[in-house]
Amino acid sequence: MPDGPQESAGSIAASLFQNELETITAAIESYGKKTHENIAIIADPFAGQQLVIEEIKRRYPDTISYLPFFSVVTGKDFIPNLYTAKDVVVMERCHFLALRKIGGFVMLDEFLDFISSSEKLFITTWNSYSWSYLNAVKRIEGFFPEIIRLPKIDDMTLKQLILSRYENNEIECIDDREVEKNSGFEVIKRQVTLPFTSAPITIPWITFNVGATKGEEVKAEDAVFRRINTLADGNYGVAQRIWDRYLEYPTMKMSNLPDRPCALDLSINEEFLLNIILSMESIQLVDLVEIASPEINIDQNLHRLIKQDLVEEEKGYYRIKPEALNCVCNYLKRIRMVW
Amino acid sequence: MVNEIQVDWTDLPIKDIDIGTFLYIAYLLIAAYIAVRVLSWVLMKLSERAGVYRISVTMAIPLLKITIYTITLYLFVTALIEPSLSQLVAFAGLFGAALGFGLKDIFADVIGGLVIIFERPYQIGDKITAQNHYGEVIDIGLRSTRIRTPDDSIVTIPNYIVFGESVESANAGKTEMMVVIDLYIDSESDAELAMNILKDAVVTSKFAYITEKLPYTILLDDFPFYKRVRARVYVNELRYEFEFMSEVTRRSWMAYSRAGIRPPQVQRVLPEKAGRDERTDGSLNRSNSGNLSS
Repeated sequence: MPDGPQESAGSIAASLFQNELETITAAIESYGKKTHENIAIIADPFAGQQLVIEEIKRRYPDTISYLPFFSVVTGKDFIPNLYTAKDVVVMERCHFLALRKIGGFVMLDEFLDFISSSEKLFITTWNSYSWSYLNAVKRIEGFFPEIIRLPKIDDMTLKQLILSRYENNEIECIDDREVEKNSGFEVIKRQVTLPFTSAPITIPWITFNVGATKGEEVKAEDAVFRRINTLADGNYGVAQRIWDRYLEYPTMKMSNLPDRPCALDLSINEEFLLNIILSMESIQLVDLVEIASPEINIDQNLHRLIKQDLVEEEKGYYRIKPEALNCVCNYLKRIRMVW
Repeated sequence: MVNEIQVDWTDLPIKDIDIGTFLYIAYLLIAAYIAVRVLSWVLMKLSERAGVYRISVTMAIPLLKITIYTITLYLFVTALIEPSLSQLVAFAGLFGAALGFGLKDIFADVIGGLVIIFERPYQIGDKITAQNHYGEVIDIGLRSTRIRTPDDSIVTIPNYIVFGESVESANAGKTEMMVVIDLYIDSESDAELAMNILKDAVVTSKFAYITEKLPYTILLDDFPFYKRVRARVYVNELRYEFEFMSEVTRRSWMAYSRAGIRPPQVQRVLPEKAGRDERTDGSLNRSNSGNLSS
């Protein structure tokens, strides 16, 4: 997410999540007037939950207490802060309360025990994959009657939001693909790995341009943002990362954008580590060791995931590469590693 | 008056058979064999990439086989003769009588194969128990079904057993499968703590698959000299059945050891058969003194 001024984040949040912000605003403003319902904001990694929280903080600076978690919670120190907090408590990244190991739900249980007997309104954010897991295992949705899932962004909104960072005509989008642009399908070259072969081979591959109709000229700008949004699967944060990474200022070429193919073939241990990293969004090595060692050799498996461009490390924290997020999610869903 | 079907077998329109006919039949059989092998291999490879749809893809393999074999039989017969309708009826009757006397077992197997293909009591990829053998179905042929046991033996089971014997399918065409994990603890140990540890071990396992429709259950059973803590939970991919059991058992006992939970001290009271055998012997529903579930 951008580190821009709060007003900028607020306007983006208002554009993207208007309905969701209205629900949260209504809950805060009606607090004390009628029975309140705790809120869980659920989103994929990078999808913009931070923007929502920033906007709530901006709107209600004196009404709320803000208690974020930045890494796995290992002690009960946060509980006293809940007692002294204001009536509306905003808690970010609550998935850090649980660790997928024996005895790893103690902090979550403490938190759920607290909110069960508390009169305060809790507005919490959760990683969507952690939420699904914890809901299957602990039925946590019973504690948060109001569930808000952040929606996917559409192509036009993405285009408006990203181009709003620049002056008019400052950025030039070029659709420099070799194929006929306004045909209903295009033939691209795609690398595939056949069973029992080590080196990938290149084959022609037909892709269909959904929405491109004969005789209708698709603007290069629209085509670029459509491709970016397809790669990001409607995830604003991922789309933004792809834009920043492949922009050759002041030009964005279609040919620079990566292809969509996603063919992963991982071991069960790699899949599990990937699942943990995806569910926690960003996690330190020590926490990975706590969860999976000695069953899994963390260093070796992490190394392989990094080499496959699926995971990146930043300041000691490991996370899924935004560009690989869609691919990783689909793969883990297919093998039922995420539920 | 009864009309009799008069067939003059000397009038059977047998084609001229020469070396070309033999070659044609040979090519036909070889082509059918190769087609079955290649298409089965391709579908098996495709199924491995299909994730949760693996067994749906493998379902097509036996259907494909029967189609190819039927076409091959038709081409084979028509390469030799051109029967009229009455001859075909008579031939069918004769063929049926021959089957009844000499080839009835093979015929029962073939019919059993057809029943398996169309009724699907089990499919390729399922884990089944048949004739006291447990394993993964790796092939359904016209005459027999082959399963791979946990110790990698290949067992060939005739298809006719679907008519007279029960076949237990542990997953019924799904990739997930319920696994029962039993841990036995000393009577003096903290049973509630043991249940909580086993619950955590189950739900945090990399092999577990838990949804609202597929919940897990932790059960406690009290025996005279020991207690049994049992987990019933789904594994996300049935091929990991034993790895799942092993992983949960190993992690649970590490935690039990740290928590002071001990195994039963009197060895002779340990049950002779645990795990899968108990799952089918009816002991599942005996008095459970407590349970935890999702």
